[in-house]
Amino acid sequence: MDALQAALRVAGSGLAAQSARLRVVSENMANVQSTGTVPGADPYRRKTVTFASELDQLSGMDLVQVKDVGTDPTAFSVEHDPGNPAADSDGNVKMPNVNMIAEMTDMRETNRSYEADLQVIKQSRDLIAMTIDLLKGSS
Amino acid sequence: MDAIHLFDLAAKQASWLSRSQATIAGNVSNANTPGYRAQVMKPFAEVLDQTQLSLASTNVNHIDLGPADQASFVAKDDAPWETTDSGNTVSLENELIKAGDVQRDFSLNTNLVKAFHAMLMQSVKS
Repeated sequence: MDALQAALRVAGSGLAAQSARLRVVSENMANVQSTGTVPGADPYRRKTVTFASELDQLSGMDLVQVKDVGTDPTAFSVEHDPGNPAADSDGNVKMPNVNMIAEMTDMRETNRSYEADLQVIKQSRDLIAMTIDLLKGSS
Repeated sequence: MDAIHLFDLAAKQASWLSRSQATIAGNVSNANTPGYRAQVMKPFAEVLDQTQLSLASTNVNHIDLGPADQASFVAKDDAPWETTDSGNTVSLENELIKAGDVQRDFSLNTNLVKAFHAMLMQSVKS
């Protein structure tokens, strides 16, 4: 396989992995207030995503892929809110273990990695274009 | 004719630069993969130093050892700028700098090939 095409393929796998990560981040942020529905029920538990590199047989390069979407074992915070349907007999409600600041940081890092991948794709296309330009003879 | 050797050299460097670009793409993609070690290509000058003449064969049954080409383009672990807690050694800044180098060298390479070609055509036409 042509090395420049392999570069495009690898960078493409990076884009896919980073967008999967962004999806998980948005899921966490959207559910920052999702409590349970019955008294004493557990609220939404924060999800985490991990990557692993995988050798691509076709190009011989290391692609990246999502290895696992797991859950964060951190303890839930407790708020006193007797009116909530998930409140226990003491009026306490378990809130999701999502930390907004951590999610924002993760989102920015995803953004940065995605941009770097896009940059590599743009540049690989430029290199291919330069090679093709050799055919456009100055005659 | 020397110009032919120039074309050969240019083709070899273009091929090395392409492999280099693919290596950089692999590093950037794995920028957040735990335990991934950043890779870098062995410098082109070293590849050229190892290039040897191919043996002449007078019989089809002779085993061709072949000139050193694609196979000598090998990647090795890069000297890391920083190592994260997860054991990842990719630095996006470093990779983008290397990508810039590849772009510049490739541009020089293709423009040189154009110039060689123009020279050849000039001698053919006149």
